[in-house]
Amino acid sequence: MPKKSIDLSIEFCGKTFKNPFLLSSSPVSNSAEMVARSFDAGWSGVVFKTLNSDRLKITHPSPRMNAFHYGAKRVVGVQNVEQISDRPLMDNLADFLYLKKHYPEHVLISSIMGFSNDEWAYLAKVSEDNGADMLELNFSCPHMCIEGTGHHVGKAFDLIERFTTTVKNTVSIPVIAKMTPNITDMTEPAIYAKQGGADAISAINTVSGISEVGLEDLVPKPNIFGIGAVSGTSGPAIKPIGLHFIADMAQCEDLAIPLSGIGGIETWIDALEYILLGASTIQVTTGIMHYGYRIVEDMIEGLSDFMAQRGVTRISDLVGKALPNLKTTDHFDLGRQGVTQYDLDKCVGCGQCYIVCTDAAGQALEWDAEKRRPSLIEDKCLSCMLCSFVCPVPDLIAFKEMPVTWNRAETQVMDKHLEKEITLEPFTKEGPNECTC
Amino acid sequence: MSYADNFSKMQKGFDMGQAIAEADRCLLCHDAPCSKGCPADTDPASFIKKLRFRNVTGAIRTIKTNNILGGACGVLCPTAELCEKECSATGIGQPIAIGKIQRFLVEHAHETGFEVVEKKNQRSEKVAIVGSGPAGLSCAAELAREGFPVTVFEARGEPGGVLRYGVVSYRFDMDFLAAEMADIKKLGVEFKCGSSIDSQNKAEDLLKNSYQAVFLAPGLWDAVRLQEKKDIKGLYGSVAYLEALRDGQLDAFAGKIENKTVAVIGGGSVAMDCIGAAIRLGAKDVYLVYRRSYTQMPAEEDEKIEALNEGIHFLLLNQPIDYVLGDDGGLKGLKLVRTALGDVDASGRRSPVNIEGSEWVLPADLVIEAIGNKADDQSPAWYPQVKLNEKKLIQVDPDTGKTSMDGIFAGGDIVRGPALVVNAVQDGKVAALAIKAYLSQKSEE
Repeated sequence: MPKKSIDLSIEFCGKTFKNPFLLSSSPVSNSAEMVARSFDAGWSGVVFKTLNSDRLKITHPSPRMNAFHYGAKRVVGVQNVEQISDRPLMDNLADFLYLKKHYPEHVLISSIMGFSNDEWAYLAKVSEDNGADMLELNFSCPHMCIEGTGHHVGKAFDLIERFTTTVKNTVSIPVIAKMTPNITDMTEPAIYAKQGGADAISAINTVSGISEVGLEDLVPKPNIFGIGAVSGTSGPAIKPIGLHFIADMAQCEDLAIPLSGIGGIETWIDALEYILLGASTIQVTTGIMHYGYRIVEDMIEGLSDFMAQRGVTRISDLVGKALPNLKTTDHFDLGRQGVTQYDLDKCVGCGQCYIVCTDAAGQALEWDAEKRRPSLIEDKCLSCMLCSFVCPVPDLIAFKEMPVTWNRAETQVMDKHLEKEITLEPFTKEGPNECTC
Repeated sequence: MSYADNFSKMQKGFDMGQAIAEADRCLLCHDAPCSKGCPADTDPASFIKKLRFRNVTGAIRTIKTNNILGGACGVLCPTAELCEKECSATGIGQPIAIGKIQRFLVEHAHETGFEVVEKKNQRSEKVAIVGSGPAGLSCAAELAREGFPVTVFEARGEPGGVLRYGVVSYRFDMDFLAAEMADIKKLGVEFKCGSSIDSQNKAEDLLKNSYQAVFLAPGLWDAVRLQEKKDIKGLYGSVAYLEALRDGQLDAFAGKIENKTVAVIGGGSVAMDCIGAAIRLGAKDVYLVYRRSYTQMPAEEDEKIEALNEGIHFLLLNQPIDYVLGDDGGLKGLKLVRTALGDVDASGRRSPVNIEGSEWVLPADLVIEAIGNKADDQSPAWYPQVKLNEKKLIQVDPDTGKTSMDGIFAGGDIVRGPALVVNAVQDGKVAALAIKAYLSQKSEE
């Protein structure tokens, strides 16, 4: 299929985005100068850094962020204590006008957060009046300590509904409600937002976390002159959490409004996973903090090529496509079992498979010290696949289904003779026939 | 002019970030083959795993406990032939740079002042060690850790042996040696420099002078020479040449090399040091003259490639047969005969056969013979009761380093013939263990 027939554009809340990739409301969308550069790089829209009404002066803590490194892999997460925009409202609005003037085809979403009904309404109105194509209501900023703001609202569902209603009654542009992940079930606040009139949901904001404790001074980082604080963690480390909440909301029949996916997206594959689980746009910050705006080129090209290879012409055809395959664990067919299989021609002899199988799995491997090769005792393999995770050679270890007649060997009991010394009354009480946990 | 900048200092090694990145590449093998590849049991698998899990101090402790010269070995070991040769990661790309990680950890200990060597109990039996090269230092440290009072007798003015006088500074510098030596001195090892054994002060005499055991590790310091007439102006053996580059005479010596044509005879690591030094000291042309072909050269692969890239002219398949002298008796050239490779010889390499009538003269101002070291002709008189072989190398039980003379042990090149630093370290460890057992048994009796 010729690549030019691939259409990455997508409609979201009545607006057409030339691709699903947006900047999220954060330090990477702080000014028109920055956003313009991101548009030039290929991003289709922006959720601008959350506006401040000038009622309270915002001063960011210093230093503002801390990185979460994993081994030599840098920035698998970022912890960020930055607040909403510290710029005067006039400056931000002038930047809105600049962006709309120079990038009329790009979508400008104004992120707002108020401290009262009136303030929400005020910020919504000035945004609409100065070119915002949509609003995103920040119910989730993890760094606002005042009750009734940021994530405190995100956890007080009636406030979500009330503030959303206020905004919807004030403006006619679409309204997205941004959710905090620091709760158990996101569908509940999302439905409150929908009841308040929200046209879409974006999720997730940062996950409350502590990324590091300074070992010299015993201060959690970022160390703000001797004080650390629980604050928002973002980046690849939190992607599984973001995917889970997006999928939950996409599967919630009562919600049924568009979703904008956020959380640990760096590559087209990350973005596609969000899309397949129900997001129709995706938003990025930490990936840009780490690599810059340029990563969008690879998102565009990678996603286009994937679609070409799969014969998909429109991105909207991919939205939610993985959801039918996502069910609760009680849907598993436990009658079908398998084991690992090893292609030892590729083996480099490191023996990590042997270590993890012995210490963390079924003791299903034997080790030939002379040849430096594992050999599998199939009947003991748990099919946990740990060995394949640690194997440095791609595709050396794969999963193989076994015939239904096959049975896994039981885990060894060290001394069968001790059975006669066991003290035990059989459990006979009535209960459900399935584990419903 | 001074050559301090490009000659006297080693290139920087890994920093913490590079070391961690490299450790992260490690496959953390079960039953790790790299550790089996280390002749001194430095146990790279353990220290790399420790670094991987941010147990940096533990990693340093592992190295320095197993190998008191872990830093020197990290720098000087032909790792591609030892630990790294066995590395499983080679199967998916490059082996882990084990030597560089090892060097980093030791340097890190020196920079942070993290001390790992500690003495155990106090013993009264005094041990004398002859020679302060790798074998002597290793044995000394091992015994001092066990609490024995140890005195090292060193013939030269400063301790270190081959680490000081046999390697060029850009490969292994004196600051590094000093830091590693400090670890040994902290254990209370006493050094008596300028104090050699000879036919008057024999090794056996040490046993009579309050020392309960002696470890002989004098090394091999007599250069094998091409022919008898060796007192030619401009002609050096590798030992004297490398020593001159070390011994505070560098700048004076450099004047003899600058803008001159230098030919080095040999194909081993010492020859590589000799040519590298010459090119760094401003020689106009440097020839490496080797009688076999490139692949038969015993030097390490990366040393050879580095030399080629530095602009050394490799004159392969050429056998030196004589020196050509000028009217003043000084060196003018090197007479060579071309060779062809014949049958495989005892060393497992095809042997060079001279091609008749192909003699030619390579003009050269300086020639350095780097064709190996041997035991001093006088050395049998230094330890007359110790049994030697026909090459005047000391014969020992390889499991203990015991010589034929009760109470005298030996190790390093004087036992093995020319070998690696890491082999000498192991000899020192083995002998230290045997000496401890010997002295414990003696005290029970």
